[in-house]
Parts: sequence; C-alpha cells; structure tokens
Amino acid sequence: MTTDYNLPLAGIRVADFTWFGAGPIYTEVLANYGAEVIRVESQARLDGLRLMHPMPPERSGINLSGYFNNFNPSKLSLSLNLRTEKGRDVALKLIEVSDVVAENFTPGTFEKWGFTYERMLEVNPDVIFVREPMQGLNGPHRDFAGFGALITPLAGVNHLSGFPERQPLGLGTNYTDYVVNPGHAVIATLAALHYRNRTGKGQLIEVAQVESSVCVIATAVLDYTANGRVQERQGNRHPHACPHGAYRCEGEDRWVAIAVYSEDEWRAFAGAVGEGWTQEKRFATLESRKENEDELDRLIEGWTGRRRAEDVMETLQAAGVPAGVVQSAEDTLDNDPHLRERGYYVYLDHPEAGRTAYDGVVARLSKTPGRLSGPAPLLGEHTESVCKEVLGLGDEAIAELVAESVLF
Amino acid sequence: MASKNRSQPATLDDIRVLDLAGEAGAYCGKLLADLGADVIKIEPPDGDPARRSGPFFHDDPDPNKSLYFFAHNTGKRSITLDIASESGRAALKRLVEKADVIVEAYPPGYLDGLGLGYRELGRSNPRLVYCSITGFGLSGPHAGYKDGDLIAVAMSGMMYLAGEPDDPPNRPYGNQAYYCGSIEACSGILTALLHRDHSGEGQMVEVSLQEALARNQETAMQYWDIRKELRKRIGAAHRLPGIGHYQCRDGYATLMVGVPGFGAPLPVLIQWMDEEGMAGDLMSEEWKQIFGQIDLRLIGRLYQGQADPEEIATWKPRLEHVDGIIGKFVATRTKMEMYENGQTRGLLVAPVSTPKDVVENPQLNFRNWFTEVEHPELGGTIRYPGPPYHFIDTPWRITRRPPLLGEHTREVFEEFRLAEALAAADPPEEKA
Repeated sequence: MTTDYNLPLAGIRVADFTWFGAGPIYTEVLANYGAEVIRVESQARLDGLRLMHPMPPERSGINLSGYFNNFNPSKLSLSLNLRTEKGRDVALKLIEVSDVVAENFTPGTFEKWGFTYERMLEVNPDVIFVREPMQGLNGPHRDFAGFGALITPLAGVNHLSGFPERQPLGLGTNYTDYVVNPGHAVIATLAALHYRNRTGKGQLIEVAQVESSVCVIATAVLDYTANGRVQERQGNRHPHACPHGAYRCEGEDRWVAIAVYSEDEWRAFAGAVGEGWTQEKRFATLESRKENEDELDRLIEGWTGRRRAEDVMETLQAAGVPAGVVQSAEDTLDNDPHLRERGYYVYLDHPEAGRTAYDGVVARLSKTPGRLSGPAPLLGEHTESVCKEVLGLGDEAIAELVAESVLF
Repeated sequence: MASKNRSQPATLDDIRVLDLAGEAGAYCGKLLADLGADVIKIEPPDGDPARRSGPFFHDDPDPNKSLYFFAHNTGKRSITLDIASESGRAALKRLVEKADVIVEAYPPGYLDGLGLGYRELGRSNPRLVYCSITGFGLSGPHAGYKDGDLIAVAMSGMMYLAGEPDDPPNRPYGNQAYYCGSIEACSGILTALLHRDHSGEGQMVEVSLQEALARNQETAMQYWDIRKELRKRIGAAHRLPGIGHYQCRDGYATLMVGVPGFGAPLPVLIQWMDEEGMAGDLMSEEWKQIFGQIDLRLIGRLYQGQADPEEIATWKPRLEHVDGIIGKFVATRTKMEMYENGQTRGLLVAPVSTPKDVVENPQLNFRNWFTEVEHPELGGTIRYPGPPYHFIDTPWRITRRPPLLGEHTREVFEEFRLAEALAAADPPEEKA
C-alpha cells in the first residue's frame, strides 16, 4: 500500500470492522488524515447502508448508495466472510498488523468470533481496540439495539428541540450518527495514539453511543440535577437574544435565520430594516423585546416576507447583524458561494456511481491537511491487494480462500 | 470499565492548552481537560460571556453559578487577562512559550490585529498547535460574517430538515454548532499533535462551524447531488407504519419497526399487540401476506415519494390502517414499557427521554455514568454528564469543578512568572 508521509496519520493502519453510520464516519476521518483504513466487509453480511437510498435514478446495486459512499472515501475494502473459521484466521492476521481495531457491533458479536481484547493482546500487545456499542458493554440495556434514529431521542435531544406547541419531532435525521458519536470516537482514538507515542502502550476504548450523545444536552442535565427543572422545547427562541428565529422569505419554503444578541446589534438591525416599528419603545431593550416577541416576530416576517432570503442575509450582515439563509441541500452544495470557494464539498469519480459529491475534511491543518484520497471502495475492491501486501498471502493461498468463499 | 484510580496517568497529561475559545470552543477545552490536559481558560476581565447565560444554580444569576458555563468548563483553570492591553498581550505571549495548544474563537483577524495570531505566536513557539474556531472559517466570501449557533445551523443545511413542513425550520436544542465545532476542533488539534509527535512542528488548525455541522444533513446532500431531489421537513408524519414518534400514556416513544435488516419485523410488534388484544384485524392471513411484500425497495420508493400513482393508491390506505392500529396500542403503554418490552422482543424502540428520564435512565445509572463533582462554594455536589468514552488504562475524569472567575490568576502568574513579563511590558498606569 502506498503511504504519504506528509499526512499526519501516515503509517497508522486501522482494521475497520464497523458498519452503518457512526462507525464508518469515524474511521473516514482517520483515513482522510492518512491512516490506511481497511474495511472488513462481506457479501455474507453486507453493510446495510450499501442497500440504502439515494442511488442514481433507475439503478440499484451494492456499490451505488450515496449514503454509504459518502462515509467511506479514502478506504480499502477487504471482503472477508467472518462466519468461516478461515475468515476469522485472516481477520486475526489483520488485527496483528494493525494499530487500531474498530468495531460497532452489538456486544457479544465480536467475542463470538473470538476477537476478545485478551486474544488481540496475544498477537498485538500495543493494539488500540475501539468499541462503539450503542449502550455499552454491560448493563441491563446492553443488548438493546438501535442507531441514531433511536439514540437521538433516547439521549434527550428530541424532547428539547422544536416548538413547544408541537409534539417532539426530532431533527429530521439520525442526528447523533453523523458528528457527535463518530467525532467522540475519533478524539478517543487520536488521544490513545498520542499516549502510545509517549508510552508504547495501547489500550481498550469503549464509546457507548448513548453516553456520548447525552454529552450534547449537558446544560439540560445540570438544570435537572441541580435545580430539579425539566426543560421543555423553546422553539427557535433564546432567553438572551431577541429577535432570534427563522423568518419566512419570498419564494417557496425560503427562510432566513436572524439572531440579535446585543443592543448594538439591535440598533444595527433597526437601521438596516429602516421601518418605523423598529424605533418603537416596546422594542427598545432586550427585556421589552422579549415581552413583545410575538408581535416583533410578526413585524419582522412582514419585512422578510417581501425579500429574498439571500438579500436579507446580505443586508443584515452588511450592517453587522448575525443572519443566515436556512439553506437547503441544494443551497449548500450548489449555491453557497462561500462553501464553493472553500472547496468544502469534494467531487470524486467512482467506477460505478460516477462523479459524486462527498463531505470534505472539516478541521483544516495548515501543514498536513487531510484529503479524500479516493472514492468509496467497491465491495471487496482491495481484497487481493490487502491479502498480498498487508497480510503477505501468496496467489495460491488467495485462490484457495476465494474458492472456499472465505474471501467473499 | 472506567477505573477510578487517581494515581493512574492520564491520556493527555503532557499537554497544556490555552483556552480563549469563549462559548464556541468551550467544549473543546473540556474534552482536552477531562483527558488530563492542563487547560487554562483565559477570560476577559468581566468573565466569559457564558457566565452570564442561564440556567443558573438555584436561579441565582451569579457569574460563578451558570450551569451553562459549568457544563462546558470542567477541569479547567481560569485566569482573567485583558488581551487587548499591552500587559495582557505580554502575559499571553509568556504563557504561549509554555503551551502546546491554543484554541480560540475570536472573529477572523482579531487576534492577528493584536499580534497574537498564529504567524506571531507560531514563530515564538514552533511546536504550538493553534486552533481557530469561527462561524465560517478564515477565508471565503462569508469569512467576516457574524455568526452564532442559530446562524451556523441554518447555513449548514441541517435546520432545513427539522420541523413541520409549514412551520419555520427548527433549531436543535443546546448550541449544537458549538458542540460539533468543538468536537471537530479537538480532533484537528489531536491530529496536529500526532504530527508533532513525529516531526516536532506545530501548525494551524482551522474549523468552520458551518462545515462542522454540514454532515448532519444526513443524506440530503447526496439526494440533491445524485437525484436532484430535495429532502424536506416531514414533521410528525409517519413515513411508514411503525416508524416515527408515537404518543404514549406518559410522553412519546420513537419506533423504527419494519425496516428490513433493522431489528425485529412488523409482525413481531403486531404479535405483541395481539397478546394485549389490540392487534385489530392485523393477525389475519391477508395482512400477513401484505407484510411479506414490504421490502427495502418498496420502502425506498414510498419513503421518497417515487412510487407510481397506482402503487401509492394501493399502499397508502393499507399503511394508514396499520399505523392507526399501532398508534392506538402505543397510546396505552408508557414510554419505558414500549422501550424495555419492545427491545426485549428485538423491536427498535426508544423513549423520547426528558432530561429527568435521561438522569434516571437505568442503563446509565447501572454503569454509574453520571459523575458527582464537588462544589464547596455551593455546599455540595452536582451530578454531571459522565464520559463520552472510557479508556481502560488512562481514565477520563473531571479533576476539578469549573473554575470561579479568575480563580487561578495568581497561581498561574506565579507558576509562569508572569509578573516579570508584565513588569517588562507594563506601562505604569496599567494594571494586570
């Protein structure tokens, strides 16, 4: 395998047994900074995301899912049937030569295959073994299953988000799968790699996704444990900012977010809007604006409703008022001049899916920037090269494993 | 798995961090502190703005009692420094000589203007990792835009997907822009430290909140890219029976039942309903056959509204009928019963937890996840959220409660001999 030593994680190999969202996004970050991430997959146990939408119009196939592909660039795919004993032997060889082993199965699955931490230590004494179960490796709910769609409400995000007069709706996505849980797993792994650089010691890390997710509603937790208060949904409002919300603009489903945090910003807002009501005494202070917030929001929407969201944003920002279009995916991908100039989205050519967009590298390092080195792998695309170059298997041995449906 | 042995080394106990990241990067500093880094929070003389944000301990709006501040500042030391003053700059520069990391969240160019940008500080300490968190990053046409949590979630695309179709898009609770930005910043800082482990050189890390949040659009970007279909808000609508939020006797539960490959299938839920005498006509052979026809492709077509009109006409009344019966059943159960009984049957169900439910969650409590932190000034302890991850050898821990404003100014000044630095730079009329 080729190694680019200008990348900060060059030389780090990851045996990636994760699947679905929170696991593969985590290992993608490592891959984009130069780690050699080898996804262990199998036709016998497909990553469910390979079957999920979106796929190109009128087509379907296990290499076409935009959902899967977006989380798996820069990686290699080894197709290995872990339900066979020989498959597990090959996996153990991979573990032996890896720096990091990652998995996010329900507890027990990895043990069932014989991959306990103790067994790994026998073949790889300084391995960093990262487990990302939903609930944790013990406890009464250990075996309860799910993914972000359930973890987000279970962790309290859904109860707290949205308008108070509505039932809880969630965020329209499996929120914690995308940044919160993979991000915490990345941090744990990088910290462990740094510790290994200092001491030579690896270790076992457990990222229980429910726990990692509760971390992002910490204030509501403390309000309950310290004050006994059960926070409720507050919609788009903010106790220390007013106006603070999303306002309808001209066009279909177009909105602009406006957040006025200070009196200076309120004066700038009033100046930019230039209508008489902005000078009324009832809106002169944060306290009085909060008291008359319904009326204020109505008046603001009267002003924004006759304007394009982009124009409102630009007018207010020019005056120094925090404002931003509530962008759709069409906006972020195609219309946002800022994201385009920064090159956030990356287009990669995939042998089956064609040229498609990928989320890019978020943390930009000035000397060793990450990059997407290639599109998501086809299932088993690198089976042979990994077997040869990483595991040192010969052609004959590989042919035999293929014939026995071990490399499958 | 977490060890409580305090004599054990910590993962990052060789790293010193200067935290000038205000609200946006506070969680980044906490992540580093709870892994053992020495994090010195540098606050303006009137304190971090988060100290003036509620909720407050016992609703007392004291800058040392903000629970919002508490939540994101455990394990840190606090000093006050007016970095716009000559003496403040001198003190900060002295601290930088002994620091590994700076994380800051000032508007682009502000610290450069004070001579405290990466260009200057990186020259005096080439090993320094300097992380900037801003709403839109340091370059590009919106780099100078005013930001904040709401603006970042709006511009990221994630807000567009949340809420009822006719309502304004919904803001997620709890400054998620700051969490996601902090998580990405921490990951960038650690990556830079790993590079430094090998090369000895520090560098600049740049994080835009808008970009840190962008992936939370789930598949919306790809639907637009690959199919030119725009994902929109669907609110409380159940895309399929058994999928979505359902009212219970005491709140709500989220069900994800019936997606092939994800937990037990719909007939398992219906069996349970039948045991309680609430399955309606769904146990009949006719319905069993219908359930057998539900596969991923059908779901994909219906879910995204791509089925042909005839298919929709066939399936819509069927699905509504099933959903109505499920809704009636769930309404008779508690959310915890739906969760525990449902999961025991392999059904993907979760409660829509309130903060109280979260704190009382049996699993989190079995694992002693919440962490008591002593607050002597408040006359007791407060239960904090626990670790996002457990390390077997170098445990996560909260080594000290969040600092009082300027609590460690004197200690830090003595430790780093800042008085001498100030004396050299200080015009006589200025006070540190």
